[in-house]
Amino acid sequence: MEIKKGQGRFIFFCVAPAIILFVVFLIIPTINVFRMSTYKWGGYTDDKTFVGLQNFEKLFQSDKFYQAFQNSLLLIILVTIITFAFALVFASMLSRENLKGQNVLRVIFYIPNILSVVVISAIFSAIYDPNSGLLNAFLNLFRGATSDPTLWLGDQKIVIFSLAGAMIWQAIGYYMVMYMASMANIPESLYESADLEGASRIHQFFTITIPLIWTNIRTTLTFFVISTINMSFLFVVAMTGGGPDGSTEVFLSYMYKEAYTNSSYGYGMAIGVIVFLFSFALAAILNAVTRREHLEY
Amino acid sequence: MRKVLSLALTAALSLSLAACGGNTESNSSSTSPDATNTSKNSNSTAETRTLKLAALETAYGSDVWKEIISGFEKANPGVKVESTIDKSLEDVIGPGMKSGDFPDVIHLAVGQPKGLTETFIKDNNLTDLTDVLSMTVPGESVTVKDKLIPGFTDTTITNPYGDGKTFLMPMFYSPTGLFYNADLLEKKGWAVPTTWDEMWELGDKAKADGIALFSYPTTGYFDSFFYALLNEVGGPDFFTKATHYTEGIWQTPEATQAFDIINKLASYTEKTVPANGNKDNFTKNQQLILDNKAIFMPNGTWVVGEMGQAPRAEGFKWGFTALPAVKAGGDRYSYTFFEQIWVPAKAKNADLAKQFIAYLYSDEAAGIFAKVGAVQPINDMAGKLEGDNKLFYSIYDGGAKAAMGAFATTDPVEGVSISDTVFGTVDSLVTKAKTQAQWVEAITKASDQLRGALK
Repeated sequence: MEIKKGQGRFIFFCVAPAIILFVVFLIIPTINVFRMSTYKWGGYTDDKTFVGLQNFEKLFQSDKFYQAFQNSLLLIILVTIITFAFALVFASMLSRENLKGQNVLRVIFYIPNILSVVVISAIFSAIYDPNSGLLNAFLNLFRGATSDPTLWLGDQKIVIFSLAGAMIWQAIGYYMVMYMASMANIPESLYESADLEGASRIHQFFTITIPLIWTNIRTTLTFFVISTINMSFLFVVAMTGGGPDGSTEVFLSYMYKEAYTNSSYGYGMAIGVIVFLFSFALAAILNAVTRREHLEY
Repeated sequence: MRKVLSLALTAALSLSLAACGGNTESNSSSTSPDATNTSKNSNSTAETRTLKLAALETAYGSDVWKEIISGFEKANPGVKVESTIDKSLEDVIGPGMKSGDFPDVIHLAVGQPKGLTETFIKDNNLTDLTDVLSMTVPGESVTVKDKLIPGFTDTTITNPYGDGKTFLMPMFYSPTGLFYNADLLEKKGWAVPTTWDEMWELGDKAKADGIALFSYPTTGYFDSFFYALLNEVGGPDFFTKATHYTEGIWQTPEATQAFDIINKLASYTEKTVPANGNKDNFTKNQQLILDNKAIFMPNGTWVVGEMGQAPRAEGFKWGFTALPAVKAGGDRYSYTFFEQIWVPAKAKNADLAKQFIAYLYSDEAAGIFAKVGAVQPINDMAGKLEGDNKLFYSIYDGGAKAAMGAFATTDPVEGVSISDTVFGTVDSLVTKAKTQAQWVEAITKASDQLRGALK
């Protein structure tokens, strides 16, 4: 009993610093965001007025907020689906197929992940340049030089997809490597048996590979979806600044603009609360939807 | 319960990631080569007083401030100036101010990306600088007011609360208008348009030659353009009514004329402009003028230095004109852009900050600034200029009228930004994502919301 008590003290002593840091730097600021969302406040003075839920009321009447919400949601869905689809397929190909230069390909795929968002944004801004960009030059090979080049970052109808392209390019390599690590643990005998029974590669992918790395997919999916909210903000700031005419505004860029540019700090925090609740709901939904029986091998 | 807790923590993490996102930008900016220049000796002693200066590093560079500081310290023994001069000043000083560490004096104009100055104005967080006007300029026998060109301290920018008090002092000024390649027009035999009708005729001729009539760096540059245009279509009274959100003002024939002109100009704008109209690529839109791909762009005199190293068409020569008149013989306006310097209400050394500001209008300081092309609104200053600056600053001698002021200050109205609504929409007019009617409707709605919040 005394040993257990001593162990408990030791564990508490080891864990306490982490808990204190966690509370000070995560829990308290999060609670503070909730508290500040009930004030009308410019951010730099002590002149705060308690307004209750008024900031939320205004938020739900704002077209700009709905546009930011729509853009965020579109990016989350689009970027997640495409990134995961490509990462899984590429990981499977590089793990199972006997491709020449596999190691080189792995490195090439992983490179975007080590580049900063600013560098990637600069690369993609150059690729998307309407006059001298690689993308329009490539498309012109098929459609002929056109007098009206596609405005990848200037046309409100497509600019959000242009941002998605950069985000996908940045993320694929990292998740591909993650899945390759998981796939390496799958016993080769399972695939050999499937081969003997005449199962195609695609069939094996869906019936062996995916189910056996599902726990990994599930964990990374939740993490990726949540981090996309943050990444989309960084890409928007670096590539479009929310423009043209607010068409690429996402949750956090709208929050940032309101809190720091429009002197509406309380309103900005209300957006932060919505982002929190949205992330919470999204994580819960993903958790529920992706729940499967855990397979062991 | 454990599951709910873990989900909540995941969501909280996303919120903290958001905070990190904001910080990323400020961190990166603070590591710029010319970032914070902080004096080594920052301790105040009984003999030494320390003045904290924060100044935005603009096209004029940061060295000029070092020279000014040296001059001020020399003239004021026992005063030490700690300076923070940075291209991303708002990011650098913002976090400190949130924790109560305010610079004593800040050189940062309204209209910056983060709107820090506007935030201080909206929060009534500025020190009244009216008494600086009656201070004697150090080392001289005249007052600050006597040295300043009349009108600069009577604007809605310097006197944001309409109570006759000056809270922001004018610093460097620059006439704004339309910049173009004078050599191109000469070679083509095209005259610089004096009316908007002539402008459209030129636009058609240029189009036939594969040249766009118009470009703009970002939609933010439409502020000075729009203010000058409002003066042209309705005179100063109309401008004042419009910038004070007078009910029904946007449905008047004068406003409609201004909207028509901008909408028509959008159709003459180089199509690729909205794609580069952001803080990282805006120089590509300016480059269109240097490459003879577009004729006019709204800008200020700083553009010459900003594009100083850029390649250009053979024979390129800067030209500069006021906005064309709405009818032959009508008034032509050039908006006077000026930067401001101000003192936060919580500055610890407001008295010293006022002395510093007064020193900035001395002949000594004006001479230092003028060396880098930073021209202050001081009497007779324009007469001392040479080269391109002489051409630019003589625009008012050629008959153009000066317009000053901006949209009136209001209390913060959540989700409403008049500059985004009025100017930001120009991109959508160019790409035809929005119609003129939608634009006017949005401006009217924003104006209605801001009217009740006027300071």
